Amino acid sequence: MLLKFEDVKLYYDRVFALRGVTLDLAEGETVALIGANGAGKSSILRAITGLSKIESGSISFRGERIDGRDPASIVGMGIAMVPEGRRVFPYMSVKDNLMMGAFTRSGRADIRRSLDGVLERFPRLQERLRQSAGTLSGGEQQMLVIGRALMARPKLLLLDEPSLGIAPKLVQDIARSIVRINRDDGVSVLLVEQNSRMALSISHRAYAITTGNVVISGESRKLLNDSRIKAAYLGGAV
Amino acid sequence: MEQVMANGVYLGSQYAMIALGLTLIFALMNVLNFAHGQMYVIGGFVTYTFYGQFGLPFVLALLMSCVTLAILGALIEKFLFGPVIRRSSREESTMLLAAGLAFLLDAMILLVFGEKQRGVPKIVDGVLNWDFRIIMPYDRILICFLAMVSIAAFIAFMQFSKTGRALRALAQDRDAAQLMGVNVNRYSMIGFALGAMLAGLVGGLLVTITGVNLGMGGPTSIKAFMMVMIGGAGVISGAILGGFILGMLEAVGLAVLSQYGDITYLVIFVALMIFLAIRPQGLMGKPWG
Ligand SMILES: Nc1ncnc2c1ncn2[C@@H]1O[C@H](COP(=O)(O)OP(=O)(O)O)[C@@H](O)[C@H]1O
Ligand SMILES: [Mg+2]
Repeated sequence: MLLKFEDVKLYYDRVFALRGVTLDLAEGETVALIGANGAGKSSILRAITGLSKIESGSISFRGERIDGRDPASIVGMGIAMVPEGRRVFPYMSVKDNLMMGAFTRSGRADIRRSLDGVLERFPRLQERLRQSAGTLSGGEQQMLVIGRALMARPKLLLLDEPSLGIAPKLVQDIARSIVRINRDDGVSVLLVEQNSRMALSISHRAYAITTGNVVISGESRKLLNDSRIKAAYLGGAV
Repeated sequence: MEQVMANGVYLGSQYAMIALGLTLIFALMNVLNFAHGQMYVIGGFVTYTFYGQFGLPFVLALLMSCVTLAILGALIEKFLFGPVIRRSSREESTMLLAAGLAFLLDAMILLVFGEKQRGVPKIVDGVLNWDFRIIMPYDRILICFLAMVSIAAFIAFMQFSKTGRALRALAQDRDAAQLMGVNVNRYSMIGFALGAMLAGLVGGLLVTITGVNLGMGGPTSIKAFMMVMIGGAGVISGAILGGFILGMLEAVGLAVLSQYGDITYLVIFVALMIFLAIRPQGLMGKPWG
């Protein structure tokens, strides 16, 4: 297993966010986490990258324990995270934002190649390379933060609600990019989404989270037709 | 007129450097460093010691001021501000710490360097006299030039170096910067060291003109805060703008208002209050944080 998350409990100021969550992700997989607002999805990602400290349980990446380490060293191991809400560095140029993604890497030529790769994948960023990231549209900012994460050349990419607040047409573009990143670049993906239909249609497996617990898990294809999932997450028959 | 402008630019270049250090520390750590003026004074005394007392070359003495303050700043961040920020999320904790630090540094300056006003030999002699329109001693021109070069170097460092980029990222979004692999503890320390170093460097530069004494710390901090109020907190362009505006105001005030007594700063303060009531975020500040 690339990532193992075992019986993890996490709380903020005595409010439980995760009440013993267990999940895993194999190399090459795209795994989706779906669930309502406040279910604990972001907390799972924050726990993996060390932004939030866990209370108990264990997290390992490629067989190595990573819980308790600081975010910088976890990120350095090959985990990149795109946090919720398009967290660009607003007063930095698009290019500097992308270069920040390669912060833990060395080798100019190598980084340059990654930059070209990202710009090829998101041509709109190419046109706006010198612009401040804060002046981009929502969709462009989402491309930028995904591109910035790819600049780290991660083995595992954590995406927190990439479709949130994005125009419907762009949601498809972003879904397509995620598929390509997984399939063509061989990056494993852990995708958090409230847009469950999109998440289930582009992932191999999924976990449904409710109030800090995993309630349902399985192959995404099957979950798309699961009556419980349909009722709770797919808005009935639509 | 030219004379007033020249004085303003000279003052502004020094002030801008002081404001830059203060605003860097604020942007990175949300700390209002009330001890900034004391750091400036220490920088002055270090250059005094190495250049004035030991007779080392001025540039070497300046370097000693920078190194001393960088180390002091790093230690202060590592052992005081860093732990306090980790333990307390309340903003007044660091403000009170900074105020306490100012008292502590004052006491240490008194102990190590004494309370006397200290001056150093002129670094260059002579006076520029441009047709009696601008009269300015060469040493002031040199100090002004050195300050400008330092400001340019600082901006280039922040803009183009990997460390500078990491510092800007940290100031703009702490979590996102961590997710890029920026070690917050290490870079907070680097940033604080850099801010303190700038204060020390100006202290070292200005000791050649104004000398240095224990009492200069508080007033320097006040001026630094005024510049940041004018320009906007946490923004590099704001600090530079604030520095030059205050320098210019002071130069104009001294030329125009001095005939009415020592009221330049009174007038500046009143103007600043009115300005802040209208535009609390300063000229370049971002009202949305
Ligand atoms: N920084 C925080 N401080 C306190 N409570 C938080 C914080 N972040 C999240 N929570 C709480 O933890 C629970 C899980 O939140 P989160 O992981 O963000 O859920 P999701 O991403 O599924 O919407 C929620 O009840 C939320 O209110
Ligand atoms: Mg969330």
